[in-house]
Amino acid sequence: MEVTTERQNGVLSALVSGRVDSTNAREFEEQIRHAIEDDDRAVIMDFEQLAYISSAGLRAVLMTAKNLWRREATFALCALPDVVREVFEVSGFDKIITIHPSREEALAAVEG
Amino acid sequence: MLTFTEEILLLLLDDEDGSFAPIPKSTLSCAIAGAVLMDLAFANRIDTDPEALVVSDPTPTGTPMLDTTLAKIAAHEPGSDTRTWIRVLSVEDSPGIREQALESLVARGIVTRREERVLWAFRARRYPTIDGNVEQEVKLRIGEVLHSDEIPHPRDVALIGLVDACDLLRDIFPGTDIERLRPRVDQLRQMDLIGRELAGAITDIEHTVTMALSGAPY
Repeated sequence: MEVTTERQNGVLSALVSGRVDSTNAREFEEQIRHAIEDDDRAVIMDFEQLAYISSAGLRAVLMTAKNLWRREATFALCALPDVVREVFEVSGFDKIITIHPSREEALAAVEG
Repeated sequence: MLTFTEEILLLLLDDEDGSFAPIPKSTLSCAIAGAVLMDLAFANRIDTDPEALVVSDPTPTGTPMLDTTLAKIAAHEPGSDTRTWIRVLSVEDSPGIREQALESLVARGIVTRREERVLWAFRARRYPTIDGNVEQEVKLRIGEVLHSDEIPHPRDVALIGLVDACDLLRDIFPGTDIERLRPRVDQLRQMDLIGRELAGAITDIEHTVTMALSGAPY
């Protein structure tokens, strides 16, 4: 699992690659938490290169969403591969967390 | 912090007389099995996805009732899914796990154990509550999540799945229109994959029983 971040106008984009499961879910959550700065108004997780996510990974995403919700920052996911999207749909996470088809659309929505 | 197994048993016990809520035995067994799996998942010992349950770390947690189950799953050929494990554990391990969790609640000073005679012949063990604060806190947590649209904590999502599988919401929140909360409950209980499979396992068993009683082929 690797997380690559970049920031533009207070929007943190995090490209997540590899697998997120119980072996690294805590590390994943910590990396995202440390990457977020106080004046970030939105966080976008780009899952284009995510190969697999388990229940432990979903919990890490949910905790990130919860922390951002508390500080009234926007949180969205984008570019989910089919196998990952299926897990988000089965678990109903797609009803609670906004998912965009691409990072460009996610950024546009955040800016809009 | 209580385990999920202890929390659901606490919610199932009547505070005053210490008896269990009148739910089917198979539902109780499945709920205990599901709760143990949730405990192991939150302790990062097992992991699940819609297709499989795997042991990610066989190191004992230090809680005997969890470690027996962890060792059992670790010794098994991998490949079984969550629902299969709920079925297996509900039949083979739930009674033992239930006793251990109840003893733990006694040791923590939350409930007390009382032996009673029923109809002058049968002995029954009751667990009346002596410290209601813990249970009140659990109920408060559930209520806050159900009555808001906030993003829930993963632990609360899992617990609501257990509570709803045992059909306990009416008992926990008397006077509340549970049907009005149903969309939120359904949304939340889907979010924990073990909770989701627990509901499916209970439905499977109910279906099997109904078919057996009606004499129809399964």
